Amino acid sequence: MPAPQRLRRFSLDWFAVLAALVAAALVRFNLLPHVPW
Amino acid sequence: MSESAVVITPSFDQPALLRSLRLIPGMALLAAIGLLGKVTEQSIAGYGKAHHLALPNIEYVLWAILFGLIVANTTGVPSVFRAGVATYEFWLKAGIVLLGVRFLLGDVLKLGGVSLVFVAVELTISIVIMTLLGHWLGLSPKLTSLLAIGSSICGVSAIIAAKGAIDADDEDSSYAIAAILALGAFSLFAFPAIGHALGLSDHAFGLWAGLAVDNTAEATAAGALYSDAAAKFAVLAKTTRNATIGFVVLGYALYWARKSHRQSVQNKAAFLWQEFPKFVLGFLLVSALSTAGVFAKPQLADIANLSRWAFLLTFAGVGLQTNFGQLRKQGLRPLVVGAVGECAIASITLALIFGASRTFGLF
Repeated sequence: MPAPQRLRRFSLDWFAVLAALVAAALVRFNLLPHVPW
Repeated sequence: MSESAVVITPSFDQPALLRSLRLIPGMALLAAIGLLGKVTEQSIAGYGKAHHLALPNIEYVLWAILFGLIVANTTGVPSVFRAGVATYEFWLKAGIVLLGVRFLLGDVLKLGGVSLVFVAVELTISIVIMTLLGHWLGLSPKLTSLLAIGSSICGVSAIIAAKGAIDADDEDSSYAIAAILALGAFSLFAFPAIGHALGLSDHAFGLWAGLAVDNTAEATAAGALYSDAAAKFAVLAKTTRNATIGFVVLGYALYWARKSHRQSVQNKAAFLWQEFPKFVLGFLLVSALSTAGVFAKPQLADIANLSRWAFLLTFAGVGLQTNFGQLRKQGLRPLVVGAVGECAIASITLALIFGASRTFGLF
């Protein structure tokens, strides 16, 4: 796999994990208002 | 995992801020189409209630995909939106990680273990069927390998990973990607209809969608179209399938290296780690945190809702990145191989699930 594509896969997966964990932490510490659906 | 026809390769000579700004129009389009789908569902339900009509409940998932398909196949997605539209893959993965709160870790391991048995059977069947069909219909061996990888594991991202590993042509990988995407779009409509006709339980349908629908986004959408619970099971089965990507691509890389006398993969463990979908680890971590009682009950509901919003953007992206015109240009033979193979795989996995359900009372 070429380097940019490898980097893209790496960043996308980890970035998605990081973003999800930050969102979960914000909810956990009541820093995000109630999320309706 | 996935999966975009519009694969954006970052241009590293642009500043990060500029690259981020380029994402905004497409992300706004995803949000607009997703919200339009949600509003359409609510409006139809509201109209039926106000006028005492028994209108069918068509989920926002289907509306968002349909609106996306209409845009992609009529006006097309203008280039200013493309970078942002491609972020649907990011929203899919973030949504799956957040969905981890709805699973107890013990259930994940138990259901994942059951899924793994089915995944092993599905992988074997898919690879054998696609290889035989490709051979009979005279497709090039590398295109056949790409179709086999795409249909057995996780669609487009597996094909992209394998393209480099087996040194396939751009043309072959475009063929395989187009075929897998078109078949995924078809599965979205066919699977829930078949599931309802057969009266499958949420668990059985979710497992079937997770095993037989190729792209993670489409598998999640097919599950969500059936029911909320089916979407959970579809994601779990599909994630288990995704986790095997490294092994299958490694197998093909070794095979093609030997066949073409190229240098083989040196460090197999590093290769497996490189190909492993890391968001699976995030999903397990969030599930472990939820199991450990880190989140209060209302917080669990909030995180589950965040996951739904992320999926809303994903479903809009699924429609926007499916272009049937592109597929017509690619020719019919790969599509025939894909379609016949997918029907066979869907039938066999369904029979397996039925068999397990009757024999072991699993679902």
